[in-house]
Amino acid sequence: MCGCCVVLVLFCLGLLSAVFLPDQSQKPQLGDAQLATNNPTLTTVSLEKPFCMFDSSLYPNRSYTIYLYVMKESASAMSSLVTDDSNKPLGSTFQQTSRGQLRPYNAAFFDVPDCAVPPRLADVRSFVHASYVLKQYLFRVGDDGTCLYDPNFLGVCNPPLAPDTTYRFKYVLVDNSEGMVKDQTLWSDPIKTRRAKLPMKIDTWPG
Amino acid sequence: MAKTENGVRIFQGLLILGNVVIGMCGIALTAECIYFVSDPHGLYPLLEATENDDIYAAAWIGIFVGFALLALSILGIVGVIKSNRTLLLVYIILMLITFAFEMASCITAATHRDFLTPNLFLKQMLEKYQKPEAGNNNDKWMSEGVTKTWDKLMLQNQCCGVNGPSDWQEYTSAFRTTYSDADFPWPHNCCVLDSQGHPINLDGCKLGVHGFFKSNGCYAAISGPMNRQAWGVAWFGFAILCWTFFVLLGTMFYWSRIEY
Repeated sequence: MCGCCVVLVLFCLGLLSAVFLPDQSQKPQLGDAQLATNNPTLTTVSLEKPFCMFDSSLYPNRSYTIYLYVMKESASAMSSLVTDDSNKPLGSTFQQTSRGQLRPYNAAFFDVPDCAVPPRLADVRSFVHASYVLKQYLFRVGDDGTCLYDPNFLGVCNPPLAPDTTYRFKYVLVDNSEGMVKDQTLWSDPIKTRRAKLPMKIDTWPG
Repeated sequence: MAKTENGVRIFQGLLILGNVVIGMCGIALTAECIYFVSDPHGLYPLLEATENDDIYAAAWIGIFVGFALLALSILGIVGVIKSNRTLLLVYIILMLITFAFEMASCITAATHRDFLTPNLFLKQMLEKYQKPEAGNNNDKWMSEGVTKTWDKLMLQNQCCGVNGPSDWQEYTSAFRTTYSDADFPWPHNCCVLDSQGHPINLDGCKLGVHGFFKSNGCYAAISGPMNRQAWGVAWFGFAILCWTFFVLLGTMFYWSRIEY
């Protein structure tokens, strides 16, 4: 009798959590390898934008923004928080977090991608539509190095990543009017940037 | 008496025929080597930069050997018709010297062709392509030659890198010191270009989307002409030498049987 009760309670809890807790089973993924064959590169990683990941948390007539956080895997688990005590997203930048070594940094923010109209990847064959489709579908971490050259720049920065380093990424859904975090994905699987070998080590002896 | 007379005539006829063939082969060898030395594919700067341009040296020797064979074959024909011991002795000695030179040229072409591996061109491309201001003039000259040749290769043959564009991602390079990986995962000449020479879609090229970048390697376009040159000089040369060997033997026998 007792055993049956426990099983029933656990089952109900499971159902409740599925219905009421936000869906956290999804995480940022690398772009489709058939489409973007050069990914990850030495200093960039192209991630799929979070299509339909936050739909259960979106309310109509409210505006949201998605924040992308980047962290080196070597950063400790304790410091992998992206929100502060009042559930607002942390504004740590690339420079402040020592390039993602101490804690996650905010690399970018963009609008929530439209789940109802996903990008048609077949359109990428057309030269006219290719740029649009790629921008809709992928986000390239490490794309913009210009903020590194300005020592006084304190804003959100998406500079090149370090080669041969493992990073993890997270998307966070933020409500614009309240400024609070409404949902977040799990940390992505570790993604490693490429390593470059030295050309002087190439053996040119024909034997 | 008539029989030996006939035999001598036939032998003379054979020697003259042999020399005619040598003369024509000499002209052909000269023409072939001039074609190779003129470098129709524009690949000489790559060899010059590796300091391994001996297949060109072999072709240069081939030009002069061809002329020498032509001149000596005429001398041989005159010597056989006149049955003159002095002329034939001069012919034999000079032909032996030419034989030695041609042997050297063929062996050089055949063995140095083996040095032209993909790794050789890969290392040179990574170290010299788009190299910023180099140390001395010689270095600068070689880097400019390599850069121009590679740009032309990538444009004309629709290819990128030696094995493929991944060469630029797998190794650091002189190119990488000037151009960041975020903007230039590989040179823009590796992208599919429009008629004005601009990439048709730079984002597609950077991400490696098929149709916007060139995914073939250029090694086939480099090694094809170089192999043809090396094998052309080496094997044609060896064929001429085989024939010349028998003609020389015949001439020496004929010379030894001429009465004073």
